[in-house]
Parts: sequence; structure tokens; C-alpha cells
Amino acid sequence: MNGQPPALEPIHSAYRLRYLTDEQLNRLQEATLDILENVGVKFPSEEALRVFSEHGAQVNHENQIVKIERDMVFKAMKTVPRYFVMGARIPEYDLQLQDGTTYFTTDGCGVQVCELETGTIRPSAKADVGMMARVADYLPSIGFYWPMVSAQECGATAPLHEIEASWNNTVKHVQSETIMGKRECEYAVEMATVIAGSREELRKRPPLSLVVCTIAPLMQDHAGIEGAMIMAKAGIPVGFLAMPCLGTTAPATHAGALAMGDAEIISAVVLMQLCAPGAPVFHSLMQAWADPRTGGYVSYPRDARGRYGVIEMAHHWGLPSLGACYGTDSLEAGTWQSAAEPALDPLLAGLVSPEIVTGMGLARTYTRLYPEQILLDNDLYQRARAYLTRMDVDDETLAMDTIRAVGPGGHFLAQRHTRKHIRTSLVRGLTHELDANNKYRNPHEAAREQVRWILDNHHPQPLDAAQQAELARILSAADREIGRGAMN
Amino acid sequence: MSEELLKAMAQSIIDGEAEVAMDLAKQAIEAGMNPLDAITKGYMPGVNEVGDSFACGNVFLPELVMAGEAMKAAIAVLEPELKKAGASREILGKVVLATVEGDIHEIGKSLVGTMLTAAGFEVYDLGVNVSAEKIIAKAEEVGADIVGLSALLTTTMVRQKEVIEAMDKKGLRKKTRVMVGGAPVTTDWVQRIEADGYSEDAVSAVHMAKNLIKGS
Repeated sequence: MNGQPPALEPIHSAYRLRYLTDEQLNRLQEATLDILENVGVKFPSEEALRVFSEHGAQVNHENQIVKIERDMVFKAMKTVPRYFVMGARIPEYDLQLQDGTTYFTTDGCGVQVCELETGTIRPSAKADVGMMARVADYLPSIGFYWPMVSAQECGATAPLHEIEASWNNTVKHVQSETIMGKRECEYAVEMATVIAGSREELRKRPPLSLVVCTIAPLMQDHAGIEGAMIMAKAGIPVGFLAMPCLGTTAPATHAGALAMGDAEIISAVVLMQLCAPGAPVFHSLMQAWADPRTGGYVSYPRDARGRYGVIEMAHHWGLPSLGACYGTDSLEAGTWQSAAEPALDPLLAGLVSPEIVTGMGLARTYTRLYPEQILLDNDLYQRARAYLTRMDVDDETLAMDTIRAVGPGGHFLAQRHTRKHIRTSLVRGLTHELDANNKYRNPHEAAREQVRWILDNHHPQPLDAAQQAELARILSAADREIGRGAMN
Repeated sequence: MSEELLKAMAQSIIDGEAEVAMDLAKQAIEAGMNPLDAITKGYMPGVNEVGDSFACGNVFLPELVMAGEAMKAAIAVLEPELKKAGASREILGKVVLATVEGDIHEIGKSLVGTMLTAAGFEVYDLGVNVSAEKIIAKAEEVGADIVGLSALLTTTMVRQKEVIEAMDKKGLRKKTRVMVGGAPVTTDWVQRIEADGYSEDAVSAVHMAKNLIKGS
């Protein structure tokens, strides 16, 4: 059965919360400018150094460190579009970024999969990317898709295989977090052009966007930054994701880590605007924590405030924000930890209104896929979405006529008003599934059953045959050219 | 031999003061102290104390790393004197460390290097973005007991396999064991590429390295 997915259900928060005051935001921004001007950021790319040099930045070709004066930063920031469109295969699912609307995605780039039926844990593969794209396609909470796991059997071109598997299994926008390198990105642009129809359409409604990680402290990745320039020139939105780790790759205090991560992001954003003025870009800062006893990477310390204030930092620059939610450190799905850690995430992020947010569905600190985890995370999302909706107080919802009709001592079950509203006002979630004995079911089991149902029943509209063939042709050319390192 | 100087050496390690540790090493040489005594009776008790405090949770990683750096600084001063005297300190093994080609993530690998040095290994840290050829050449040159390969990205961890395959071809695997690490590395991956060891953090890496040496 080929079906169109249900309409998207983004978060439209009726409320706003400020994590950082204007004074704090200004101070953080000043710190970023100070770092950019006086400490600098390493750009291990001749092309990037040339662009900076041509525009008057202070470039040291020997150590590849670029120092950018504030005037150049602000000049570059003037050409950044505040909002843009992230296109989908079907226009109905396009994401028009705008104030007050937040679209969530899946988590991405996991390396292990726990089999739904057997519980066996194995390395991830391309088929898993497609399988989870179908689940994401079905869920209204998922606005766009991050390939959830790595297509490990595909070797060096795995990131391109991941976007192909995604487009073959979802009509929604695809955002890659793994494509790196000049040639890889040129192939990705070619593939995205096949989906969009033309280079012009690609600019108007890009069906692909890219997240490029910076390297803390204060470095860019050679392949990452060179690929980003290719994407930006083609009009494909590029986001820069800094992941400062408190205590190891960043100061052990929030503010210092955030300023440093911000400097990494802004330096890359400036480069994109110098190469391609007006290029759509976004800002993402996901601080982590190093366990002080092992150095191990921890996504959720008990104080994870930094996850939300960074969204305000992005907006302070006039940039859209990719917020960070979910990605529990729990080794398994369905544990107390896996719910407790992300429980407040969608609510707290929603209160700051990032334009886009990652990502549902992985455990073990973003590395292990439990197919049912996305349904559990989805439940938290839908709770937050409800909490952030303003309560209606009007004639209809006050139901004064009904109250008068029932009067003291009666009941409301036989009222037309009750019949009309009960389906929408008492929204049921994963914890309200009844079994054959009218007892509430174990929500983890219910989630497993739901994901099974989606996989059995939801088959998104396939790409047309010509597009499929064209993607396959481009992929095999990429495999031939850069497929070194294939695993089989 | 000055008891006071030996105590100060241990304290410089506990305090994580690299410059103090270095100055004390110079003082010891000037005073004609046996450099091996300086290491074993001066600095090592400090390393052991920090290690014990770390093991029972009284000190954290920054203290451990700073102690390791202080130890490295002292050894850098004392080692040439040891060699002059035709002696050598006891080392647990030789380790060549690198982040694989295409990947410039450094912190995890460097942390492992510091921990291994502090534990008594001789560490050759080749840095980041290092080709298989360079890693293997260094391993052969120094007669490495262990090669440690770091990769943070799913796209670069395939290079770990390439290094192992190249080592296999050269028949190096009998003498040299391979440890791998990095966020995407799992036990499945370790088995698949036939590495000898893997750990999720720098502290466990030291245990793993010691086990590999014992087992070889």
C-alpha cells in the first residue's frame, strides 16, 4: 500500500522562556568576537584560507589559523537569510522555517542496531537507513529525516548511500550529517538536483541540507569545510555543529564552552557568506560533558541547561537554530534513564522556539538504534506539543449550556458536547493503550507493536523509476571514483 | 640522597606542576643524584599516589592528566642522563599512537597517550591524519608492542581496518598488537577488523594495554 504520510505536526509554542538575558547574550557574543579576532580558528583548507585572505582576514598559512575582525564578521552576517525553505519530495511537506514553528527530526549516524524481533545487536547497514526513513515518514512529529544509522557496508561513499536510501523511503526533507569532502559533496549536489528537478529548483526548495561538525577546540575539518563550500554555492542549506565537551575539549564551565563553540560556528558561517553571499546556513551547538573519572562522553549531565540557551545565541546572531534534544546515554530503550533524560527536552527546547531540532530514536549516546525508541521519543514530543498549546477559553470550551443542563449530581457522558470533544480533549499516548482485559499495556511493548505496524503498513510514494535509476547511476560513479575503503 | 628533594618530586606530581617537576629534575642532576632513583624513589611515589586517589574517586581526570604531564616533563629531563649512564628506566612497553588518515580529532588519542606514559609505557604519538604507511614505518622503527589507532567518524574508522590489513601483510601482527578507539568503535567493529583490543575511555585503555602486554 503506497500512502502519503499524515500532515506534519510541528510545535507551535504559545509560550516563550528566556534562558539568557540580553546582557548575557551580548557578553557571549563579545567573547565570540574576541576569540575570532584574537585567538582565531584553524581552517585546514587552502581554498578556505584563500577566500579569507582575499577578503582581508588575517591568515597564517603556516599554522592555518584565521583571525577575523568584528567588522568582517558583521558584514558577512548581513547576507545570512534569517529563514529559508527546506524542500521535500512532495511540496506539502516542505518546511518553511519561520518564527514560532519548530520541526523535529530523527537522531543520526548511529553505528549499531538492535533487531526488533530478536534483540540481537549488530552493526548498522544501509537497509536500516531505509527502514527508519519509512517510520520517520509516517510520524507527524518528524518534519525531516536524518539518516539514523551509518550504511557501514558501503565504505567511503556510505554518506551518499544513506541519502539515496532516505529518498527512496521518505517524501520528507533529508538532512545529512555525514557527507564530507569536495567530491562527495559534488556528487550529493548532483543527487539532490535529481530530486529537485533542476539546479534552479534546488536553490528554491533544496530537498537536502547538511550538518558539518566543527572540531573543538577552535578547528574546522578539512573535508567538512571543503564540502560545505560546495553545498553553499549550490544553495543547499549548511549548518555548523559545534560539540564542545566541558572539561576536555572546552572549558569546564558552560559560558566558556558556549562562547568557544559559537566562535567555531560563526567562523564557518562567515566563510560560507564570503564564498556564496546569501547562502542558507544554520547554527547548532551541542555541548557535552566529559565524565571526570573516565573522560567518557556524556550527553546528559544532570545540569544540561546548555542545550537550550544556545538556541537564543543563534537567534541573537540572526541565524536559524538546529536545537539538540534526545540521544539518551541509556544503553537500552525503555529504561527509566532513557525517558528521564530527554523527558523535558522537547518542552524546554520548544519554549525557545528553534526552527529545527534533532533528534529522536537513538540510545547509547546517539550510537545505537532501537527501532521502537523513536515511538517512545515521539510520545515525549507529543506531550510537549500539547503543553505548549495555549488552552482555549471561549463559549464552546466553557460549555456553560452543558453545565447548566446537567446541573448538580448528574453526569456528562450523555451530552452531545462531551461526545463532540472527548476524542480531541483527552488525547491518548503510549501509556494509555489498553489490552484485551482493559488494563494499560507496557508502553515499551506498545511502541514495539506500533513500529512493527508502521513497517508492515506504511509504504511512502516511491521515487519515479527514472529518478531512482539516475540516483543509482550517480552512486555507482561515486563508488568507482571514491569508493576506497569499502567493507566487503 | 636528599629525602627532601625526593619528597618534593613526589609532591610536584601530586600537584601536577610540570615546571616544578622539571626544575627538581635539573636540581637532582646537578646534585649528582642517580636519575633512576629520581624516577623510582622521587616521582613514581607521586604517580602512584595520584593513581590510587583516582582509583578511589578522590581526584578527577584533570588532576590525573596534570600529574601525567608533570611526570612527562621530569622524564624528558632525566631520560638523556639515564642514557648517558647507559641505563634505562623500566618501561611496560612501546606504544605507537595515531589518529587515522582523514581524521583530525585529537583529544581522545592524546589523553590515552598521557595515561599510558604516566603508567610507564613509552609512547610515540604521531598526531592526527596519519597514513597507514607512516604508522607502520614508526612501529617497525621503534619495535612497537602496541599500535593504537583512533578515529572519531564513521567515515574514517574504515582506515583502522586498512592499517590492520597492511600490518597483516607485513607480518607485524605477531609482535605488535593493535588497540582501536573512538566514538563509533564498538566490540562488533573490533571483531570485524580483527583488532586486539578496544576501550571506551582513556583509563580503561591503560588496563587494556597492560593486558595486551601480559598476553603477548
